[in-house]
Amino acid sequence: MEQNAIVELKNLSKTIHGKKIIDDLSLQLYPGQITGFLGPNGAGKTTTIRMLVGLMKKSGGEVVIDGQTLSSDFEEALSKVGVIVENPEMYKFMSGYKNLLHFARMHKGVTKERIDEVVKQVGMQNRIQEKVGTYSLGMRQRLGLAQALLHRPKFLILDEPTNGLDPAGIREFRDYLRLIAKTENVSVFVSSHMLSEIELMCDRIAVIQNGKLVNLRDMREAQETHYYVEALPIDKTSELLTTLGFQAESVNDGFVIQAEKTQVPELVQDLAAAGIELFAIQPHRKTLEDQFLEMTGGGQLAETSSK
Amino acid sequence: MLKLLQNEWMKLWAKKGTWIMAALMIILIFSMSGIVKWADGLNDNNSDWKTTVQGNLEMEKASLDTNVLKGESKRHAEENVQIYEYRLANDVAPLSDSSRESMIYDPSVGSIALLLTVVVAAGIVASEFSQGTIKMLLTRPVKRWKILTSKYVTVLLFGLLLMLIGFATTILSAYIFFPSGGGQALTVSGGNVVETSAWGHGFYMLLLSFGNVIITATFAFMIGSVFRSSGMAIGLSLFIYFSGNVIVVLLSRFEIVKYLLFTHMDLTVYESDFVINDAITLPFSLAVLAVYLVVFLIVSYSVFTKRDITA
Repeated sequence: MEQNAIVELKNLSKTIHGKKIIDDLSLQLYPGQITGFLGPNGAGKTTTIRMLVGLMKKSGGEVVIDGQTLSSDFEEALSKVGVIVENPEMYKFMSGYKNLLHFARMHKGVTKERIDEVVKQVGMQNRIQEKVGTYSLGMRQRLGLAQALLHRPKFLILDEPTNGLDPAGIREFRDYLRLIAKTENVSVFVSSHMLSEIELMCDRIAVIQNGKLVNLRDMREAQETHYYVEALPIDKTSELLTTLGFQAESVNDGFVIQAEKTQVPELVQDLAAAGIELFAIQPHRKTLEDQFLEMTGGGQLAETSSK
Repeated sequence: MLKLLQNEWMKLWAKKGTWIMAALMIILIFSMSGIVKWADGLNDNNSDWKTTVQGNLEMEKASLDTNVLKGESKRHAEENVQIYEYRLANDVAPLSDSSRESMIYDPSVGSIALLLTVVVAAGIVASEFSQGTIKMLLTRPVKRWKILTSKYVTVLLFGLLLMLIGFATTILSAYIFFPSGGGQALTVSGGNVVETSAWGHGFYMLLLSFGNVIITATFAFMIGSVFRSSGMAIGLSLFIYFSGNVIVVLLSRFEIVKYLLFTHMDLTVYESDFVINDAITLPFSLAVLAVYLVVFLIVSYSVFTKRDITA
């Protein structure tokens, strides 16, 4: 990456009651890039995010945001950050506008014009003067996004952001995030359980398990070509694929192998020559879900499932 | 900091409950004046003030003669004797109970203001936790101690506002319900009997009772921010407020009573005929209260600024 990281997590650790929840986590986030943050329940996603935004104190390590160290320059560092932590809980007894005004006052240099601009951006002009208690979950999510954008953050942290949005809303939200990442060069860090969502939204994913970073990859890298091969007899097929140098992974009634398109005709000939009955060979797209389960060892729950 | 205060003030008054409390303050004071007026109508009120004062004077003198009075109690009795003698010698009647001046002389707004301020103090931090808004509030580029300070100052301002509303209502109802009566309040200052204005004394009483408002509200504020439960904070604060006197009486034989919070909460006793303990004076009470206040605030701040928000 030729650009300098805007956010750096350096050897971040968190110990609660003698248990290491986050263990020596290091990660860099870059401007204009959307990074997905994945991990099984209890892996430490929420804890990591809360340490990033000052809701929790870290036990060790450091967070540097745009050159400012979080522990020593808290206000400076956090002034660059926009946050939506889980469901954006607002003051229900006040109007959407007063909620925004409230948060705007806590940042430097957010004008009334800026509030109006953000309200328009999230499409809430018509309802902004009504009490938040009357809003649907989707509207509250929009308001949550609005409050996070008020001060034009360089770094946006979202914890389960699409929770409660309808499909159209999710799509709009995703396009909007992509837009501000590109146009305003904002670095976005999204945690979500909705893997398909992350897949569509992110440029890069970071996977955490048991408080450790287990994988970090670009989404483009993840798009390797795979083929699904269904043939009988199974043991013979497996043998042949291995001797041909493919890593055969048994899926359903057949195998998934990693292969280039140009290798396919040759493979078909080899199978036929060996007297194997070929039923199907087709491109196989490994979803993020497959990869995720692979990386985190299936559905196994994290050992440190706290709470 | 001013913006944070604006925020807290806006949130406070966006709640219906706050308006109801302010209205309650006004209604309660009006009805109390009404009840005093009604009860006053039941008395025949023919007794002569001179006979009453003469009786009181003899009682005070008798108790002074027994030589059991010491310290504050003795000083108090001596001052009363001086005032009674002055009244009889110069023909100065005391304030009539049902006069406009006596209502203003001793405004009873402290306890209502205290109860209502405790409700606000208990909820101002705890409600952020129960609403889940604490996450939104603390992910701002503002240090936590500043946020807590803005909340504490808001509580004090609310208490002060209630006291002022209460006093204004008292004055208004005094003018509506009661006639201006004769009589003059007297006090001993520097060994001489001097006249005191009902208004000045009224303000002084307000100030003294504000001490109790501050200390009880600070206690509620501490419990609310430590345990994040406004119900518990209100409950404990009211328990302290109502059971304080009983505890003081139970422990009055021991030296420790001098250092208990309860002994000093109600500063208006220094303006009444009641003496809790011969050895304590107003400055001593203020010093003890200040120590408790600082302890409560240290606890609130250290817990609030260090806590991990996991809710």
